[in-house]
Amino acid sequence: MFTLIKLIQSLFGALHSEGTPGQLAAGIVLGSFLGLTPLVNLHNAIIFAALVLLNVSFAGGMLGWALFVPIGFVLDPLFDWIGHALLLDVSFLTPLWTSLYNMPVVPLTNFNNTVVLGSLVFALVFALPLFFVMRWGVARYRVTIGERVRQSKGYRTIMASKAYNVYKLFKP
Amino acid sequence: MSERIKIFRWRAIGPLLVLFVIAGVLWWLFADTIARHESQNIGTQLLGAKVEIRYLHLDLAHGDVTIKGLTIASPHEAFKNLLQPDELVADLDMLPLTEKKLVIDRIVANGLRFGTPRATDGRVPAESGQGIAGSVLAETRAWASRFQIPVLQLATGKIGVDSLDPRRLSTIPAADALGARADSSRRAWQTAFDTLRLGPTLDSASATLERLRRARATDLATINTARQTIDRLKRARDRVATVERNVKTGVSQLQAGLAGLDSARQRDYAFARGLLKLPSLDAPDIGAAVFGPGAIKPFEQALYYAKLARRYMPPGLLPRAATGPSRVRRAGETVRFPKERALPAFLLRSAELSFLGYAGRLTGLTSDPALYGRPTAFAATGPQLAAGAMLNHARSIPVDTAGATVGAVQFPAFDVPGVPLRLDPGAATTQLGFNLNGDTIHARFAIRSSNVRWTRDSGFANSAIGNLVWRAVSGISNLDVETRLSGALEHPALAVRSNLDQAIAARLRAELGAQVAAAEKQMRARVDALVNAKVGPVRARVTEVQTQAQTQVAQQRARIDELQRNLEQRLRQLLGGVRLP
Repeated sequence: MFTLIKLIQSLFGALHSEGTPGQLAAGIVLGSFLGLTPLVNLHNAIIFAALVLLNVSFAGGMLGWALFVPIGFVLDPLFDWIGHALLLDVSFLTPLWTSLYNMPVVPLTNFNNTVVLGSLVFALVFALPLFFVMRWGVARYRVTIGERVRQSKGYRTIMASKAYNVYKLFKP
Repeated sequence: MSERIKIFRWRAIGPLLVLFVIAGVLWWLFADTIARHESQNIGTQLLGAKVEIRYLHLDLAHGDVTIKGLTIASPHEAFKNLLQPDELVADLDMLPLTEKKLVIDRIVANGLRFGTPRATDGRVPAESGQGIAGSVLAETRAWASRFQIPVLQLATGKIGVDSLDPRRLSTIPAADALGARADSSRRAWQTAFDTLRLGPTLDSASATLERLRRARATDLATINTARQTIDRLKRARDRVATVERNVKTGVSQLQAGLAGLDSARQRDYAFARGLLKLPSLDAPDIGAAVFGPGAIKPFEQALYYAKLARRYMPPGLLPRAATGPSRVRRAGETVRFPKERALPAFLLRSAELSFLGYAGRLTGLTSDPALYGRPTAFAATGPQLAAGAMLNHARSIPVDTAGATVGAVQFPAFDVPGVPLRLDPGAATTQLGFNLNGDTIHARFAIRSSNVRWTRDSGFANSAIGNLVWRAVSGISNLDVETRLSGALEHPALAVRSNLDQAIAARLRAELGAQVAAAEKQMRARVDALVNAKVGPVRARVTEVQTQAQTQVAQQRARIDELQRNLEQRLRQLLGGVRLP
């Protein structure tokens, strides 16, 4: 329940934040990396650091993460297939993987796992379309029903929750 | 003019650094616990049996790992541990860790114990059959189950053949098929005779012969007709010869069918004999029946570890996929990409093992033998022990060899299969030799004991055959069993020999020979009664068809020959040796 409230807070907090639609979309894209790829991997530490350090919507990142976690679970068979194809079936990539595998640090990213590589490649390919769609969607929301939602009683109730303050720390 | 958006959020550096510091502190606090859990999980996954660690300490500054209370369960026995060292200290090479490679320069293991009992079942993939260890275990179990161990069945009641089902006899369908083939041959040959149309040819030849007998030497038309008739007779004889060849071929096939019925009858005798559950009187069968089930186990276990080694230590440098780490998300596959002149993903350069006055040494255990370039070697010596193993996967065809001689091994007593007896081998000397060269296996397992003890099951005190076997073996105090396995790994030949074989076989033959012979005679008579009712008529039909076809061919041929001979003789008489154009 608390997770759901946080998700809703995150959604509305992000949509009505002072950040531009581009910042919000960029945050969602970075969050999608966290959600689509298996979490405990070195590349996600870098993504998280970027989400914190770059002037993108942190709330958007949390929203993207929350939204894409279930999608990641559902798409795992697809990621496995993509990763398997890239790692084992595309022969001209083998020298690249061999070099990366025998380099310092790079193997710690677990790139040689089919699900990790498949999900990362999918997230990378998906990033630009997701960014543009999200930017357009947020802009449309704000010019259409955004103000009415902001004035609604429900919105004020949700935003009054103390948990929202945590998100305000990283608002753009 | 709009305010330029900043790219970096500098004020977040502080919280991020705090987060990293917290993560570092948590790592420092829980590194040992995390490493312990991960080692347990990975070890369990690799070996197919529970790996438990009571204490693990990482000293990254010195590259040392200390493990205490390590317990590795047996993947084959539910409540037994494979080994249990008191303490294990590993000296790690730190630099390869940055490449996610584990290189251990040296391991010292003290206080090793083998085969200790455990309270819970330590077999993990035995139930699930998942992972490499699980699939290898399933493979080796399937391999072991393919051996056809004869069963030493000692019938204690009346021998009967009531359960003989005629539908399971192979002679009867074979006889039906042969009968149908005989009918088919008869029809085919009759058709062939009919298409010869010999009647008009023979009638015409008879008429020509009559005219020729009344003709004079100047009756050139009749003479020419006679010559043409002779030519037609020759052609008719050729056609008959063709049919005759077909008949001969068909007859030989029918004869082969009759011989096949005899073979099928022999198979039916063997099948019916199996239903009788007669005791085998052949010594090798008795040896295999008594010791076969137990003797296959050491081979099965040795093969399990050899196959496991081949899966984890494959030859060559091709990319290798293995099941990924367990996690909430799908595990996927983790692919290794070995590279020439690079470090292997795992390498244990040297391990020194000590246990109860024994000493062992393991060298070159690696995930990429082609990179390491040398075989993995193991040797252990001590009082009553000599063991060695070599896993040579550095070349394209892996060769796995192991040998061990262990004295004073206390084997548990076991029930002799099919006989109400229990054998306690006592303290025995065992030898195991194992060689898996590519897909060819040669293995030997031997047990020798000089203080065997026999006990009999009181529930079978009145069993005549139980008494018989008891009298045969109870006086034997020596045990000498040797099991050999050789041939292609998928279908090796198993041979079991023991000093008990001859003793039991001789006693059984002396006491049961007459009874077994009578039962076999009765069984044969029953099979014959069922089979003869079908085979007799079929045999008669085949003979009739053969005789009929051969007689028909012979008659037609004789008639043609006779007419041709008479025509030629009359022509010679008319012409008096003069050759006309």
